[in-house]
Amino acid sequence: MAKSQYELCIEVLRRLEKAGVLKDVVIVGSWCTLFYKDFFGDASYLAPLKTRDVDLLIPRPSSTKTKVDVAELLRDLGFVVGFTGPEGYIRLEHPELIVEFLVPERGRASYKPYPLPKLGLNAQALRFLDFLAQSTITMKVEGISVMLPHPANFALHKLVVLSRRPGPEKQAKDKEAAMRVLEALIDKGKVDSIREAFGAMPRRWQVKIRKQLADPLDKKVMDIISHST
Amino acid sequence: MKVIKSVLKEELANSLAMKKSYERELAKLPKGSLVKKKIKGHEYYYLQVREKGGPKFIYKGKLSDEEVKKYDEDKKYRAQYRKLLSETKKQIKFLRTALRGKESV
Repeated sequence: MAKSQYELCIEVLRRLEKAGVLKDVVIVGSWCTLFYKDFFGDASYLAPLKTRDVDLLIPRPSSTKTKVDVAELLRDLGFVVGFTGPEGYIRLEHPELIVEFLVPERGRASYKPYPLPKLGLNAQALRFLDFLAQSTITMKVEGISVMLPHPANFALHKLVVLSRRPGPEKQAKDKEAAMRVLEALIDKGKVDSIREAFGAMPRRWQVKIRKQLADPLDKKVMDIISHST
Repeated sequence: MKVIKSVLKEELANSLAMKKSYERELAKLPKGSLVKKKIKGHEYYYLQVREKGGPKFIYKGKLSDEEVKKYDEDKKYRAQYRKLLSETKKQIKFLRTALRGKESV
């Protein structure tokens, strides 16, 4: 099951790349943690638990030029259009994979789906996503260039949004994913990237992160961010 | 264990939503198979469907190549969606069983 899910994900990315969509997309969510494996190389990094959702962030939706009917592009793979929530967010569903589009929420909070007419879809606008697109890395996955948030940004973002996650279980899962990535960065000697990303955050976000690192087990990370500029 | 359970619950909700999506898409597709018949040198199409009393032929008349292609495509999607719907139902069954399991095993 796992292999076919991975292969399906790669096929989706390959089609999006060929259609010219992928260059405007940053892969966020649990799938990017899998793609960090190559970034960490031989460090003792184990990808955290991931779900079927592949979250694709479009940092600048208004500047997307490519016109592609994404649902049609993936239809023959078995994807169907699904709608979630009372707002009607569109996602592309397959028993192995769920593809969702996200955009950064700017201005006043709104639950309305953000229309992506060029892609024939809509997206969910979420807070703090700009931070993920602020510093990105490009990895080659099966010959496809994929853009991912820098692991430091990914992990710190997870800690910022932790209190907004529904339920203690989701919070525990997200914290574990964040800490795993941060520890892998420390193992790889990339402590400065954590400090840099933390230093680039607004003060309010830094306070949120510090609150999340109250556990004695988090001391190593807490010490690092305490020395950031 | 609670974390895994919450992931399973999330996946169950996803599979239930997915089941509805596949059922909705299947309902949109025409049922049956297109059959070509040659009558007095002319080709006519019939849609063969299965009803209570057995197979039934619905007259479609002369169809363009594009219309025939569309029927073939729909048939292909129908088979694919049915297979994926069955897979989704199996997932639902599996997830429900897993979530009912005792934690202290």
